[in-house]
Amino acid sequence: MTMTPGLRKFALTAHVTSSIGWFGAVAAFLALAISGLTSQDAQMVRAAYLAMELTTRFVIVPLALVSLLSGVVSSLGTTWGLFRYYWVLLKLLITIFATIILLVHTQPIDLLAGVAAKTAVFGADLRQMRILMVVASGAALVVLLVLTALSVYEPRGVTPYGWRKQHQQRKVSPVVDAET
Amino acid sequence: MSQTHEKPDRRSTPSTPRWVIVFGIIALVLALLFVISHFAGVGMSGH
Repeated sequence: MTMTPGLRKFALTAHVTSSIGWFGAVAAFLALAISGLTSQDAQMVRAAYLAMELTTRFVIVPLALVSLLSGVVSSLGTTWGLFRYYWVLLKLLITIFATIILLVHTQPIDLLAGVAAKTAVFGADLRQMRILMVVASGAALVVLLVLTALSVYEPRGVTPYGWRKQHQQRKVSPVVDAET
Repeated sequence: MSQTHEKPDRRSTPSTPRWVIVFGIIALVLALLFVISHFAGVGMSGH
């Protein structure tokens, strides 16, 4: 299945925009998480956790889902495929893993925002969760950076499935088709 | 004018690139560390 050039560019634009937006939103989340953990100003801490919840729900989660979906569409609609090249396959697996981890972490984010909405006092029992916000968003930035690097460098390597597909195509395609 | 290939497959499947193996090992170690830290209660108390 190959998409028309117009549709392919639309899917690619959606993928690049959502992926880079995802990275930027997580960077903003990290700044808020650090502020929420270290600030001495109680109102600042409350504002940080409330903003983190909004950012997650309305920016980070939608961008992650669009990035995953547009990436799958872009791959399936071009000759790259989804399982033919190791770098594409790894990107898919990492993006699915990162999205699942993100969805799991919406629970503690909601909990912290719920506390922030009621009081400016965060108990000691919530400290580990507040530290987790900083660690998890920092780790997410590294993972998203790796995803971006894979897209840019496109390291070589064809999977056994991709290799079989290439040979099947060569068997039926003309000799003059030197591009494959 | 076009011809078609009818040669039999003589080459075997290419081996997995080294970068994929290294990448996979690092990812596996990090995923294990993540799971262990959560089960140990380092980061996710309360969920």
